[in-house]
Amino acid sequence: MMSLALHYVANLLLILCLVTSIIQSRFLFKIQNYNLFSISQISAIQFLSILVSFFILIFLFITSDFNFDLVYFHSHSEKPIIYKLSGVWGNHEGSMLLWILILVLFNFLFSLSKSSSQKFKEITVAVQSLMIFGFVLFLLLLSNPFNINNENFNDGLGLNPILQDPLLAIHPPILYIGYVGFSLIFSLSITGLLTSEVDRKWATIAKPWVFAAWSFLTAGIALGSYWAYYELGWGGYWFWDPVENASLMPWLSATALIHCVVVLQRRNTMQSWTMVLAILTFSLSLAGTFLVRSGVLNSVHTFASDPGRGLFILIFLFIILSSSFLLFALKSEKINKPSLHNISSRNTGIMVNNWLLISILSVVFLGTMYPLATDLIYNQSLTVGPQYYAISITPIIILFLFFMILSPQLSWGESKLLKILSEMRYILISCLTITFLTTLYFDLFNFTEILIIFLSLILIISSLSSGLNFKSTKVIVKSNFGQSIAHAGFGIFMLAVVSNAVYSQETIYDAKVGSKLQLDEYIFDFKNIEQEEKDNFNSIKAYLSLFKNGKNLGEFSPEIRFYSDPPTITSETSIIHQLFSDVYVVMNVPQNQESISLRLHIKPFMNILWLGVIMIILGGIITAILNRKKYEENAIN
Amino acid sequence: MTDTVKKRLIKFLVSLIIFGIAILIIVYNLRDNIVYFYSPSEIIENNQTGSQIVRLGGLVESESVVSDGDSIFHFNITDGQEQISVKYQGILPNLFAEEKGVVVEGIYMNDGRFIANKVLAKHDENYMPPEVIKSLKETGKWQE
Repeated sequence: MMSLALHYVANLLLILCLVTSIIQSRFLFKIQNYNLFSISQISAIQFLSILVSFFILIFLFITSDFNFDLVYFHSHSEKPIIYKLSGVWGNHEGSMLLWILILVLFNFLFSLSKSSSQKFKEITVAVQSLMIFGFVLFLLLLSNPFNINNENFNDGLGLNPILQDPLLAIHPPILYIGYVGFSLIFSLSITGLLTSEVDRKWATIAKPWVFAAWSFLTAGIALGSYWAYYELGWGGYWFWDPVENASLMPWLSATALIHCVVVLQRRNTMQSWTMVLAILTFSLSLAGTFLVRSGVLNSVHTFASDPGRGLFILIFLFIILSSSFLLFALKSEKINKPSLHNISSRNTGIMVNNWLLISILSVVFLGTMYPLATDLIYNQSLTVGPQYYAISITPIIILFLFFMILSPQLSWGESKLLKILSEMRYILISCLTITFLTTLYFDLFNFTEILIIFLSLILIISSLSSGLNFKSTKVIVKSNFGQSIAHAGFGIFMLAVVSNAVYSQETIYDAKVGSKLQLDEYIFDFKNIEQEEKDNFNSIKAYLSLFKNGKNLGEFSPEIRFYSDPPTITSETSIIHQLFSDVYVVMNVPQNQESISLRLHIKPFMNILWLGVIMIILGGIITAILNRKKYEENAIN
Repeated sequence: MTDTVKKRLIKFLVSLIIFGIAILIIVYNLRDNIVYFYSPSEIIENNQTGSQIVRLGGLVESESVVSDGDSIFHFNITDGQEQISVKYQGILPNLFAEEKGVVVEGIYMNDGRFIANKVLAKHDENYMPPEVIKSLKETGKWQE
């Protein structure tokens, strides 16, 4: 009874959202005579209808109502409550609803904001509502989370232990806020094109949203990478896997976009390119979420199992891409202002790095699509090795670092390269010395690695010193603080990536209890092995102590868990984090009684790597928040 | 042709050429780094021996897994028609089991053995690598 009632309520709420979306899109069709409610009131209804239906879905998962297909297939009564909750978006239908929830949330927030004119706001909300209409229709017809069955199932099927992880519970919502944030940027761009108002004002409206979306996207990707690092136990943090690449591609284009928005705000130029990037970023975000979720990227064959959904997304993508680029072609003449910048201005530097980002994007795109193409055309399965990405991207990154150092030193007008060089002489000399000493100390011989380390060091120091003003007694934070934190973070990140690649070590031992294992300067004292019975699994745990130069650095307890329902084996890595190096141990399923296989890893600079990533995210957030003040300051000059 | 149109045309052509060269370099590099996937029948048919790294996928033959200590494992991969004996030193993934799908990466030797340096694992106990499904379908061993 209850289930049936909830089924109807939820579906009615979705239909309510459809209706409000139609009402909201009226501004696109010049129907203005409906004034019963204001835009923000209707947006509020739109938002609430989805929010309540999302809460209903959460309620169904928490109360384990197996009359609903989705709960039956993806949940289980014995799951801990937090994983019942994350089970809501751990499947296709639920994640679609979450996606739509964020879409209406952004629409609602924008309808409340006061930064834009009434007309501009009306059209933006209309465009956004048109998209909401499309997605809610898709949800209702092809991917309804509220379908019920007539069986009386006692328990659900979804108890996959590997997916029961706190990081995996928050990773999708964060990533989605990033992806969906770009839907608003897309709507803003369409509005800008329609009204031919792509100018400094437009950039000022768009800037906080685009930086916020970018920060969330960065954080989402980083969380996924961190999960892979400690859960998969392969010692890496990035595998150039198609699913990872699908999230990296919108990030690369979004990174180019945030810089263009800044240029547009400061110099009122690069209008067309900004529009192209905004459309591209959103298209890649759409492709990223849905092609991954429908399984197209893993294999062309899974596509066939779900033809309706895949086809809908492809049609939707096609409509969005073709209509927005058509609009762009019609309007690009009107929005472009003649740009009069000097070749040695900051614009040039940013433009060059835009092209470099797009080059990396092309490398990733080709590497991801090539296997799909050969499978479709030649029926030949193949994989692209990680070597391809390393070889193709390294030279681009070196150029990228160079221009990342140079551009902020250039002024927006004309600048003299010699003067910049002489201003930077202390930084250059000190970085050269540090690089030289590290090279000697660590026996580095590879020129590429030395060059990247050198450039990263300059980037870190020059970025930090440009964001802070050192007066004799106090430190003043300048308005470009966000940028300087993010750029320094990228330098730190690159430094860690290179050193990690060079100095990582791993080895495998067939170890007996009582033996001492060695890797580099570390001694692993294998003390004991224990079997334990837990609530829903049995485990085998190994205990090891880590020593370096006779000093005890900590205890390892890697574990293998045997779940019975469904029969699954998972291994828990055990990591000791030190300031400059992670040491970690993975254990194998025991094949015989006497010994056990252990894999030992030394991963240097992992903490530094995550520190760099956190600084990049922080820089984005700071810039999103500081935006308004900065615009007012700049409006004067 | 007006001056602005001419300028634009030149700009367009130059960027097209640069872009084309970049794509050529990337694709050239790509071809050097692809790893082909074969089923046991295909690898025997193509006689893909030598130094090139390839992937081999199929089912782990039942009662074929032997361990001789020091984390060295021997097992057979089959697609129902042919089987290849695989040698691997390292840690087997948790989901590795007899009569389950597996993909290994390594070198196919002249003597017909396969020396693997990687055994690939996926997250789900029901997961079957799509390439393996495809090759099993081709030999008629696939059951829905």
